[in-house]
Amino acid sequence: MEIARKFINMFSNVPILGWLLGIFTAVLIEYYWGYDYISYYLGLPKIPVLFGALIMLKEPIMIPGAIGYDLIVYVIPILLVAKASNFLTNPVAAILEKTPLWMSSIIHLVCFYGVLHLWAGINDYRVLIVKLTLISIILTISINVINGYQGEFSCSHPGFMAIGAYISSIITLYFFVNDKTFGAAVLSPALGPWLFPFALIAGGIAASLGSLLVAIPSFRTRGDYLAIISLAFMFIVKSAVENLNVIGGARGMGGQPDYAPLPVIFIWTMLCIWIIHNFVTSIMGKALNAVRDDEAASESMTVKTRKTKMTAFTFGAFWAGIAGGLFAHVLAYINPGMFSINRLAEILAMVYFGGLNSIIGSIVGAVSINVLGEALRPLELFKWIIIPLILIFVMIFRPYGLISFKEINAKRLLRSKHKREQGV
Amino acid sequence: MKKIACLVIVAFAFGMMFSTSAFSARETIIKIGINAPMTGDIPKVGEGSKYAAMLWLEDIEKAGGLEVGGKKYKVELVIEDNESKAESAVKANTKMISQDDVLAIVGPQSSKQAIPAGEVANKYKTVMISPWSTNPSTTLDRPYVFRGCFLDPFQGPVVANFITDEFGFTKAAVLYDVASDYPKGLAEVFKEAWEKKHGPGSIVAYQSFTTKDTDFSSQLTQIVKSGAQVLFTPQYYNEIPLIVRQAKDLGWKGPIVGSDSWGSAELVDLCGEACYGLFFSTHYAAAGAKGATKAFIDRYNTAYGYVPDDVAALTWDALLLVQQAIQDAGKITGKIETDRTAVRDSLAKIKNFAGITGNMTFTEEGDPIKCAVIVKINDKGEFEFYKSSCP
Repeated sequence: MEIARKFINMFSNVPILGWLLGIFTAVLIEYYWGYDYISYYLGLPKIPVLFGALIMLKEPIMIPGAIGYDLIVYVIPILLVAKASNFLTNPVAAILEKTPLWMSSIIHLVCFYGVLHLWAGINDYRVLIVKLTLISIILTISINVINGYQGEFSCSHPGFMAIGAYISSIITLYFFVNDKTFGAAVLSPALGPWLFPFALIAGGIAASLGSLLVAIPSFRTRGDYLAIISLAFMFIVKSAVENLNVIGGARGMGGQPDYAPLPVIFIWTMLCIWIIHNFVTSIMGKALNAVRDDEAASESMTVKTRKTKMTAFTFGAFWAGIAGGLFAHVLAYINPGMFSINRLAEILAMVYFGGLNSIIGSIVGAVSINVLGEALRPLELFKWIIIPLILIFVMIFRPYGLISFKEINAKRLLRSKHKREQGV
Repeated sequence: MKKIACLVIVAFAFGMMFSTSAFSARETIIKIGINAPMTGDIPKVGEGSKYAAMLWLEDIEKAGGLEVGGKKYKVELVIEDNESKAESAVKANTKMISQDDVLAIVGPQSSKQAIPAGEVANKYKTVMISPWSTNPSTTLDRPYVFRGCFLDPFQGPVVANFITDEFGFTKAAVLYDVASDYPKGLAEVFKEAWEKKHGPGSIVAYQSFTTKDTDFSSQLTQIVKSGAQVLFTPQYYNEIPLIVRQAKDLGWKGPIVGSDSWGSAELVDLCGEACYGLFFSTHYAAAGAKGATKAFIDRYNTAYGYVPDDVAALTWDALLLVQQAIQDAGKITGKIETDRTAVRDSLAKIKNFAGITGNMTFTEEGDPIKCAVIVKINDKGEFEFYKSSCP
């Protein structure tokens, strides 16, 4: 363990910018030499798409090749560049530290997006996975507001997602597309991508209106009772859509225009993280925690419990609606069966795996469940044994999830890491 | 510590150099993708598709590869699990097209996966043949998407005509899953066809339930009370045994008729004698088959121990169609985009393809014109050919 500790210590003075630069180099190496040289000499048929996980599970003979590829393309360049560029990245980070936090965050995020875009751009399959993972992040964070910060057990998230997906799809199909059911486009299709955010927000608002239907009759109940009411709501939404033949019924609704490329989804995800982070660290967020810990006590301490609960519920539902809208426009097809008990299990797995009461935990949960689900795909049936097993172990050893009750501290995360400042 | 790290890296590099796979040249391999539900609600369908594909691959390997334009190419199958979910089918298609460089895709089987997956295939200009999807929107306005079976609007009238001609009934009941697109669509088509024949009101009971329901007694009581002479239920093989048994328990005496979703090898195992003597429309009949169809059934039976269902037969046909299209294309350039378009063009031109589920010619939409078969479940529990109906 001494060696591992020393090894980690070696990189303790690398700022986030340094890591980004390292990843950027790795991606550049993959982009220029990945296919023609590195994977060719390692006997791989193509650039391994998810760090070789898929190819390793499918053909065990490729394991050394895939590991070698990961080492040559990712591990070694990232570590080397991150360490070697210290002299450059630390002063830059120090300069950024002096700018306002929002500016420094945006600069970091732009850099991060650039790297992500390049990495994903190598293969369209990666783009799809990244898109769906980002949407899962929005979903997980939004349910964390209700199930984590507020401590309820709500099961209606797929229902909110469905409302958002259907409303935003109807809007885009009605206004911007020559569709069979809704007739010719009302507005010029060129306006579509610019007005798409409004369609999404309309979907979100519709979802939060729908959430009032759950919240109003159930605000007196907690725990199991709310779970049952919200589960019923999910099924009501599903059945309602199935019986509405105008919007396709059980056959689903297809042909949504491709208004949700990677940058759009990335921006929405970052907006979601930022807004929800501000929400849960505000007075309202503290009130939420108070209601969760002891409702009667918080009521006596002048917290308006009813208003707090309703706000959290509608707020979480709003973001679920946004996620639904994005989801519909990524797949270009939705049917009510997608927003059913399976989806609920997936969302709950992500939030409880990642960690309650924590945005960073939600991100970890969403990313790991999505990537695991994709990486273990070649195992077919065994995938459904391994993932639940992991979940069970997490629940046994960390009952509140991997990273629970922790907040992002952007200032600390982004600061420069000179030895001098660390007091060495 | 650094020494150890260096040593590991050097050892690893040497190991790589002498391993068999290093420096192996990239040869042109023809890859065919199979997008099938290996897990999820209907795993038997996925299994049938996979086994049929493996038999096909065996044939190709025996011949030493696929001969295109006088040159033999190695063929590989890429089998992906779509978990019987729409977004997984989309992911699987995207992966096979952009990562595995498949030349053509066979699958997904159910319409709810085939519709979104077809969008992906069409976007990337890759041929996709869905062997089993009967929903018109799968191929609609998508030049790169084809199918291997007839459509719902054809099957509904076939069943309605069969019941009228065979039994002379005028009052029918329908029981279907409102939450699943295939049963719902077919139920609507059947209702329309039946009412056209026997006048409005001739469907005396039109009852629905929701996916994963297991108790149908309230719907079936209504149906029994309505005085219907025949019950049409276009459900999947896992629900039919429950429906049939519950109907008999509630005193239903008339025949029960179904559609191609009944045609799974599992149906008789689950249902037993309760299903003997029932009819359904499908793509092919296993018992009493002749020629190439019989040869396929026998081979499949010896290899995997049961009579293949229609999904396996349709997948087999779809693979042979792909093979023919690749061979007709004349040559493999190695540039995957060009080859995919060439395969698409030659597939659209195929006329009178003699498949084991009947002769096929594609319309402009990519739908085949082919016959439907009415099958009777005989006293041995086999699917026996009863009648065929052509457009």
